[in-house]
Amino acid sequence: MSAPDRPAAGNRTLVVWCPDWPMVAAGIAPTVPAAAFHANRVVACTAAARAEGVVRGLRRREAQGRCPELVVERHDPVRDARAFESVVAAVAAFTPRVEVTRPGICAIATRGPSRYFGGDRALADAIRAAVDSVVAGLPAGAGWGCRVGIADGPFAAVQAARRDLIVVPGKAADFLAPLPLRLLDEPELTDLLGRLGIRTLGAFAALPAADVVGRFGAVGSVAHRRAGGIDDRSLDATEPRPDLTVEHEFESPADRVDAAAFAAKSLADDVCGSLAEAGMVCRCLRIEAETEHGERMSRVWRHHRAFTPAAVAQRVRWQLEGWLAGQQRCGCAPELGCPGGDVCPHPVGGTSGGLTLLRLVPEDVGPDEGRQAGFWGGSTEADERAARGLARIQGLLGHEAVVTAVLGGGRGPADQVRLVPWGEPRQPARPGPPGSTTGPAAAAAPAPTSRTLRHPTRADVAKPGTRVRTSGRSPSPTERPVWPGRLPHPSPAAVPVHPRPAEVVDATGTPVQVTGRSDPSRPPARLSIEGGPWADIVAWAGPWTADERWWDPADHRRRARFQVVVDDGAAYLVTLERGRWRVEAVYD
Amino acid sequence: MVGEEAVARGRLSALGHLPPPVLAGERVLPVVPALTAVFTRTPGLRRGATVVVDAEHAAPGAVSLALALVAEASAAGSWAAIVGVADLGLLAAAELGVRLERVALIPDVAPAHWVTVVGALLDAVDLVIAHPPPHLRGGDCRRLTARARERGSILIPLRPGRAWADGADLRLTVAGGRWDGVGTGEGHLTSRQLTVTLGGRGAAARPRTVELWLPAPGGGVAAADAFAGADIDRLPVSTPPLQTAG
Repeated sequence: MSAPDRPAAGNRTLVVWCPDWPMVAAGIAPTVPAAAFHANRVVACTAAARAEGVVRGLRRREAQGRCPELVVERHDPVRDARAFESVVAAVAAFTPRVEVTRPGICAIATRGPSRYFGGDRALADAIRAAVDSVVAGLPAGAGWGCRVGIADGPFAAVQAARRDLIVVPGKAADFLAPLPLRLLDEPELTDLLGRLGIRTLGAFAALPAADVVGRFGAVGSVAHRRAGGIDDRSLDATEPRPDLTVEHEFESPADRVDAAAFAAKSLADDVCGSLAEAGMVCRCLRIEAETEHGERMSRVWRHHRAFTPAAVAQRVRWQLEGWLAGQQRCGCAPELGCPGGDVCPHPVGGTSGGLTLLRLVPEDVGPDEGRQAGFWGGSTEADERAARGLARIQGLLGHEAVVTAVLGGGRGPADQVRLVPWGEPRQPARPGPPGSTTGPAAAAAPAPTSRTLRHPTRADVAKPGTRVRTSGRSPSPTERPVWPGRLPHPSPAAVPVHPRPAEVVDATGTPVQVTGRSDPSRPPARLSIEGGPWADIVAWAGPWTADERWWDPADHRRRARFQVVVDDGAAYLVTLERGRWRVEAVYD
Repeated sequence: MVGEEAVARGRLSALGHLPPPVLAGERVLPVVPALTAVFTRTPGLRRGATVVVDAEHAAPGAVSLALALVAEASAAGSWAAIVGVADLGLLAAAELGVRLERVALIPDVAPAHWVTVVGALLDAVDLVIAHPPPHLRGGDCRRLTARARERGSILIPLRPGRAWADGADLRLTVAGGRWDGVGTGEGHLTSRQLTVTLGGRGAAARPRTVELWLPAPGGGVAAADAFAGADIDRLPVSTPPLQTAG
């Protein structure tokens, strides 16, 4: 069995049990002999009636025979639930997520509240006092009370609540062992096991699990685990996400942006209104549409802070323009005019028909933490304008077309930059040295050094001519790596996405190589990029060698980087890798 | 009812197209002190201007110059966008002082969308560096220039080729550059002296030449005479006397 045999710590449950709740809800004092009946059978009764011999399941005639003064009440689950709501509210004051099993029994996960209120005992006492005061406030509530139990798993906790107990963590099985089997509430199973001579939970739990599954199947297996104090069901301690999806069906297909956008406006108000009621904000919204020809389109929009109704309506409108305008219109901005007149040379792909359905699905929903308007240096009108405009371009070109750069660690000019789509969190790809993102002031470039330095030390690894072998040890979160072998500043201003192949030769025309001691075989003399004309190299520096990710056969790279200046004044960063030269960057 | 609604919405959207009010003191975006020599009339980039950054014979340096132009304004809180420059060295941009979190990059734009995107960006951000696709129409160029003027944003066409042959308020052309700090197998690139020719309209029409350190020793931009007394004998390339900016 793959499930863990020990219950998880998050499984610990507190159960509040109000005995004879239908009688409490009916407003009957515990001293009055009374019973509630459903289908002519006793469902609940007071302690006074129980003393007279009334038990659950008894026929009415027989119950009245045992207790002639019995007050007969009709069983009304609705009334019970309504009355129980005040108890649930009292428990919800301790933790917002309360599970109601049935009127009279509710449960909470104790993991957080128990720590906050100072332990299981303190939590149980506080909740018992709170619930008792609520029950005492009900009509004829005096004399009624509640019981609170805490144990591992809801099943054991209910049994503990019946006895007003707190079961030590990990001892649920021992607690349950002597209890009768009927508590499992599996009548057929209990009956059969009873005939086999198994009458307690402990005896049932002692059976081999494989045999129980083989004989009783999945139902038996679950019951067996519960009898053993292992409750697979754990209370969900998180707030459920309400379904906030809104949609609008068009009676006639909407093929004009105006018509669809009008519907979008009311959808935007709906979705933001229901979010606001829940005290939530939405940072990511999916816009879905269907056309009369069955096409389905979906695009996700993200807001850097939170969507307002106006922002939602605007995004939907832009998106609809992107989808609908493509049918007849061109991709040129209307203000600029289309150079092609009626036949636009820049058509934009779109839908083949009008929209029949528009749906807004809030995706990334979080609590509304409010927003303090900036006094100085905060968000300004210009920021809002930029955010709107860039979101609009994302609608035109796609979410990934507009990016922003984040600097991180690395050696080459491309390694240190990560591009993230606009509006997404700016996280560097690799941790960098402290201050690596703050510009030239913090960039401590090593001073020009002469190659007469023949004995490099570990501290000098950033200087050219020293071989760097990276370590496979990943740095701890607090420690920021310094990336030895990183190229000195200034960095090249043009970094092609794909390095261009090149050739670097010495004075005799032989390709230049780099020795194992990180020395060039011969001084580089001429450079040709992509088979172009040869240019004389008037100055060069390097190599900066790096043996990167040698522990990973797939990503292992050994590179030697050179800075070269050719006779027309241009400077390049050329890289030798596996015997081939490439222009990695241009100092543009 | 729907008709009235449409009219009302039309009016609202017409209101929305009004340019936001701009204070007189904000009409000029700041540039680094070394670049103020480039601008004759204003101490920085005038809002609404079109400033072409080009290079003679594909000489390198235009990208750095364009980045240096926007660096100070970006540090002062202006938003910038860079369109159509797929091979931009962002590390160099950060070293020149550009605040990358305030720069939107649109590296690849289909030629069909280029005008639309640049037009929308002129509405959205203060500074737009844009490398045009080949065969851009003159009419599109004029429309974008007019839009920048109307919206008070600054358009910086980067290496526009034959586009914006006229109509730019200011034209910076890199004539050549010379790198320092690297010898034969020693040192590393540290700084570059860049010769920039200025042209344009109005007071800027008279051609001038300025010399800049871009990047300067230690990073950033500096005027040509900033390192006149520095120990440049160490530099391997013999340095001719520095010209005074005309």
